[in-house]
Amino acid sequence: MKVAEEAAPGLRRPSRWLDLRGRHEGAWAYALNRLTAIGLIAYLYVHLGVLSLLAHGPSTWNSFLATTKAPFFTALDAVVLLGVLFHSLNGIRVVLTGVGVAVRWHRLLFRSLMALAAILFLVAGLLWSIRG
Amino acid sequence: MTAESVAVDLEVLRYRPGEGSRLENFSVQVAKGTKVLDALDAIWATLDHSLMFRRACHHSSCGACAMRINGRERLACVTQVAEAAEEHQPIRVEPLHNLPVVGDLVVDVAGFFARMTASDLVITRSAEPELPVSVDPLPASLSLRQVVVPEDLDRFIRFESCIECGICVSVCPSMAADDGFLGPAALAGIHRTREATGDATESAHLLALADGDGGVWRCHSSFECTASCPQAVDPAGRIMSLRGQILARRWGRMWGR
Ligand code: SF4
Ligand code: FES
Repeated sequence: MKVAEEAAPGLRRPSRWLDLRGRHEGAWAYALNRLTAIGLIAYLYVHLGVLSLLAHGPSTWNSFLATTKAPFFTALDAVVLLGVLFHSLNGIRVVLTGVGVAVRWHRLLFRSLMALAAILFLVAGLLWSIRG
Repeated sequence: MTAESVAVDLEVLRYRPGEGSRLENFSVQVAKGTKVLDALDAIWATLDHSLMFRRACHHSSCGACAMRINGRERLACVTQVAEAAEEHQPIRVEPLHNLPVVGDLVVDVAGFFARMTASDLVITRSAEPELPVSVDPLPASLSLRQVVVPEDLDRFIRFESCIECGICVSVCPSMAADDGFLGPAALAGIHRTREATGDATESAHLLALADGDGGVWRCHSSFECTASCPQAVDPAGRIMSLRGQILARRWGRMWGR
């Protein structure tokens, strides 16, 4: 059980902000924003690591590109795109409400931006499938 | 038991420092239409005198009975047992988050009140002046005292709807991630005090506090405080309003105003 945490003086614990029982959109947005931030930073490093393959010449790069055609990498791309869409559009909500815009309608704003994220994701999927 | 009584099952988080924690199940009979706090009172009175929980007013005025009921922060004195039992069986009762637990359902509110004090909000009388009294001359032996309403009543009463229950602190994800944050209630207090004060120096000091380390910029717009506050204080709205005031002040300074 979790009570040892309850009594400890330090309070920075993911188990708290990730505990979404009974919470509303805002807490979900907060948790997802943090998780996508961590994910995107990790992705950035992986991306830089992958780019460093260029230094090993065209054959290494081309064989890597061939590997990325696998469905696993497509799924990974989809996850990254979802993360980017969520993080950037939720960021717009945080900035707008943070300067006093749409404070009373923050839930509607969040839902609308998430609907926009879903639409953009579907459009991206459509474009990807058309392009093959 | 009378026909009006109902059986209630609760699982209560039990904790003592050094002993770890566990969920303990209790079954009590309470009057129909009763509140979760009454069920806890019944456990204490009939089953387990060692159960620690806090309450005072029993009518949502003191904030003492704030706790997590079925995972949601609420005042136990106004939460219907029937409603809670419908949500989850047995009713799960846990202490508030983001405040150190002293034992069972009791959290240490010292840090919370220290933050509230920073807001200069009149929570209690700053000194403890005796209320002006006049002695009833009739039954001198009883030395009855009659309270005469003082003219400067506003010195004695609170003028803020916040009941300092700590619910907003428990629900706030920024509070969970950041010990240095002043928190929703204290920032709402700062906003309220600025509305009420005519003292320009105090007003500027409070705005600087809101703008400082631990102030409004640590809020990440989850709005959970406003959604959960039992008194409609709207801490998130007040935090956003403070941000607007801070930005206006910065803008003014840029132009030498
Ligand atoms: S602002 Fe609301 S939730 Fe926070 S302490 Fe005051 S009454 Fe409780
Ligand atoms: S006992 Fe006072 S608010 Fe519940």
